[in-house]
Amino acid sequence: MKRSFLDFSRINAEKLFQNRFNILISILVILSLFLIIRLYFLQVVSFNHFDTLSKTNRIKYISTPPRRGIIYDRNNIVLADNASLYSIEINIKEAKNIKNIIEAVKKEIALSQKEINNFHKKRVKYSHYNSIILKSNLSEEEVAKILSIRYKFDGLDVTASLLRKYPFKEVTHHILGHVGYIDKKDLKSLDKKKYRNTQYIGKTGVEKFYENELYGKPGYKHVEINARGRQLRDLDIGYAEAGVDIHLTIDIELQKFMHQNLLEFSGSSIAMNPKNGEILGMVSLPSVDPNERLWKYGYDQAEIKKLKSPLFNRSINGLYSPGSTIKPLVALNSIKNNLIDPYQEIYAGPYFQLPDSPRRFRDWKPEGHGMVDLNKAIVQSCDVYFYNLANNLGIKNMSSFFKNFSFGSKTGIDMPFESSGVLPSDEWKKKNVGYKWTDGDTVITGIGQGYFLATPLQLAYATSIIANRGLISIPKLNKDIQKEKNKKILEKEEFFKNNLKPEDWEIITNAMFDVVNKQNGTAFWSIRDKKNKIAGKTGTVQVYSLSQETDERDDENIPDHLKDHSLYVAFAPIDEPQIVIATVVENVGSGSKFAAPISNKIINYYLNKVKERY
Amino acid sequence: MILNKNIGVTDKLLFLTIIIVSLLGLTILYSATNENLDVVIRQGTRLIFCFFLMLFISSLDINRLKIISPYVYVISIFLLIITLFWGHDSKGATRWIMIFGFSLQVSEILKVILPMMLAWFLSLSEDKEIDFTKLVISFLIIFLPISFVIKQPDLGTSLIILLCGIISIFLGGIKRTHIMYIFGLFLVVAPLMWKFLLLPYQKKRILTLIDPSSDPLGSGYHIIQSKIAVGSGGFFGKGFLNGTQSQLEFLPERGTDFIFAVFAEEFGFFGIMILFLLYLIIILRCIHITHKAKNYFSKILAGSITCIFVLLIITNVSMAIGLLPVVGVTLPLLSLGGSSLLSIFFAFGIMFSINRRV
Repeated sequence: MKRSFLDFSRINAEKLFQNRFNILISILVILSLFLIIRLYFLQVVSFNHFDTLSKTNRIKYISTPPRRGIIYDRNNIVLADNASLYSIEINIKEAKNIKNIIEAVKKEIALSQKEINNFHKKRVKYSHYNSIILKSNLSEEEVAKILSIRYKFDGLDVTASLLRKYPFKEVTHHILGHVGYIDKKDLKSLDKKKYRNTQYIGKTGVEKFYENELYGKPGYKHVEINARGRQLRDLDIGYAEAGVDIHLTIDIELQKFMHQNLLEFSGSSIAMNPKNGEILGMVSLPSVDPNERLWKYGYDQAEIKKLKSPLFNRSINGLYSPGSTIKPLVALNSIKNNLIDPYQEIYAGPYFQLPDSPRRFRDWKPEGHGMVDLNKAIVQSCDVYFYNLANNLGIKNMSSFFKNFSFGSKTGIDMPFESSGVLPSDEWKKKNVGYKWTDGDTVITGIGQGYFLATPLQLAYATSIIANRGLISIPKLNKDIQKEKNKKILEKEEFFKNNLKPEDWEIITNAMFDVVNKQNGTAFWSIRDKKNKIAGKTGTVQVYSLSQETDERDDENIPDHLKDHSLYVAFAPIDEPQIVIATVVENVGSGSKFAAPISNKIINYYLNKVKERY
Repeated sequence: MILNKNIGVTDKLLFLTIIIVSLLGLTILYSATNENLDVVIRQGTRLIFCFFLMLFISSLDINRLKIISPYVYVISIFLLIITLFWGHDSKGATRWIMIFGFSLQVSEILKVILPMMLAWFLSLSEDKEIDFTKLVISFLIIFLPISFVIKQPDLGTSLIILLCGIISIFLGGIKRTHIMYIFGLFLVVAPLMWKFLLLPYQKKRILTLIDPSSDPLGSGYHIIQSKIAVGSGGFFGKGFLNGTQSQLEFLPERGTDFIFAVFAEEFGFFGIMILFLLYLIIILRCIHITHKAKNYFSKILAGSITCIFVLLIITNVSMAIGLLPVVGVTLPLLSLGGSSLLSIFFAFGIMFSINRRV
């Protein structure tokens, strides 16, 4: 059945259209209302949420690490400095065509195929990093060239990083220590917020001890960035505060001289001003150049062994028997206790024997010294004389006396990881060895052997107390700090003042003077120029002990690592001491042959040449 | 002169509002292009050209427009074929052809030409109701151009064109039973389309819509950044030229697809309400013209144009706030681009022409 639109549905069709149109419009109106509600929720209800997101998008917080403090020697010569290192970096995520960028860079500056290959290797290896270094160590001209094309390429950038430089390399390494990349161990103890964006931290030496001062205060920057990560403008800047510069007590000329003279040996030498405790020079050998190689890559165990532990700071961590260098203190203790008449000669044979014991404690001189008084015993380093003194003093007395010279405890120098050494005593042996203390132990303690261990710094410190006749100056490296004498130190000084008369000190210092200046003194031949009035004491420390049966030593056939350590302590000039020195040379032979000549040369160099310059 | 009822526009309020929104469009475009005056001037030139085209169309008698409808349709099919073979590529799709130095996206104009063609076809024998044959032919009219557009490939525009055609048929008086059939057919075909027709990137777009954070730097990036732009606009907006999301280029496709997000960021909810108010005036005037239209052709065409205009706005805004996938639908009168401007002013020309016959 056909129906005409006109006759039947003209009105119907219009109605139908109107109906349909209304339906559509209604649907669209509902959808629009829904959209408006949605917009209201986005823009009004969740405004804060999206506002934050938008700010996170465009605002970047950048922490600016402070400039690390510079370390100077006592004459303002730079020992540790910062250098800028410029590198080309390509941000892999932002770069559109890395090949093009490399081509463009190649047009501007010299870029070897090796560098390009390295870059591609690193890209694979460090794929979790955004930016990979293409070329490092740019000159200023190269930096300018790259900066001029940077705008053309997203992801191309020049970055500057600070590099720690030690101009005197291995000469100052053990004092300054070095900085290194922050590792997991460091992360545990440091303030992560403070060290954000910082590459390295002091690991050893002064760099570690004064880390807080040297580091400074980091700054920050809020920068506006665009979608491609390019920084557009700074919104807010808090400038970093540079670290404090540190002036050390070291004299680099003396330090160099000391290093030079010990270069072929393993060992340590410390020069100190007894008046104020200032360390004038402190070397430990072997040593390595701490620049770059060390703090970037480190050394492996095999290399360390081959190089004879160059990272080990013998000055504060090397533990040596003090040997005969301890004799002046044993003598002083005996005088204090009125156990001897210093001027009375006694017989000293080839060995000392305890009653009821077959064991012979031999003198270094096989035939013995004959009749000796205190002066001669020190000058010729007569062992038997001191075996006697030690036996008379007893370990308790000796131990408590040595304690006043800081043996067995840290000197308190401003360096990290200082060792305490071992001050032997009845209790110490029981606790650490497990056996009871014997009289034999006491006897050999009298010549600084046995369980007795001290660091070269402790020897220098003890010698400085002799040089000062009982006044104590704590060793220090930072010229700008004042080491306050604490209660313990004051008590010690009080002890010396109350128990030892100036004449007592004179006996000892005169004997030490004779060691260097009397024809038969153990250090007489060690120095020709005697105008600086050096007082010293040698020590020869056995690394392996002779069996009781043989009297003969076959020095020629002893392997190097079993040879004696050569020790020497000294101060000069005797009346108004300006320098104290303690030197240990490992595995070479007697104190008179090695440590004494080197040390006396250093003293003369200091008093003749270095002092003059002030 | 142009307000003269006989030759020019016939609805002063509609005319004025169109001009206001167009100028608003140029303003926001200035901000969206990071103050690139060249782009704005180029768009302004296009605007003036389209403006005169609108005046020209509006001066034509609606019956004459009705007569040329099939020719216009055939020409556009022809242009679509040319596009497919000689069009130029952009972002992996061939959507544009160059005509007299202008690049033209034919699929954009189809949004007007298709309803015109359908209105012509359905009103050929207006005494008959739409029977099955007529329905099939109508769908052939719809799918012929779509088959070319989908090959470009441009799924988004294809779907919009399909919707435009369906609106026209719906308004043309399709039977209720047929509506049921079509709906049923859709339920069967849609899953098959998902499986066989959609390219991987198209699937990804739809999937990221459901969870934009699943791919925050890829396809989800656009949606996330756009939502941030809209949301951070707040009630009064960040101010003209101060939208950080757009000025610092976090927002993609700022001039075209996401111009609404730029607007929302800089003028806030308040600004949007004013924009919507202006759109509402346009829509109400169009509804008015539709109501007053005298013949069948005019009614279907005016109704279709009105509904499609609203549909485009809703689609574009939904894209900007992450309710729809990024299908490349422009915001009428605001988005950068000549083709969409052309089709909209063409449509308004028709509306004015229809209005003159009232």
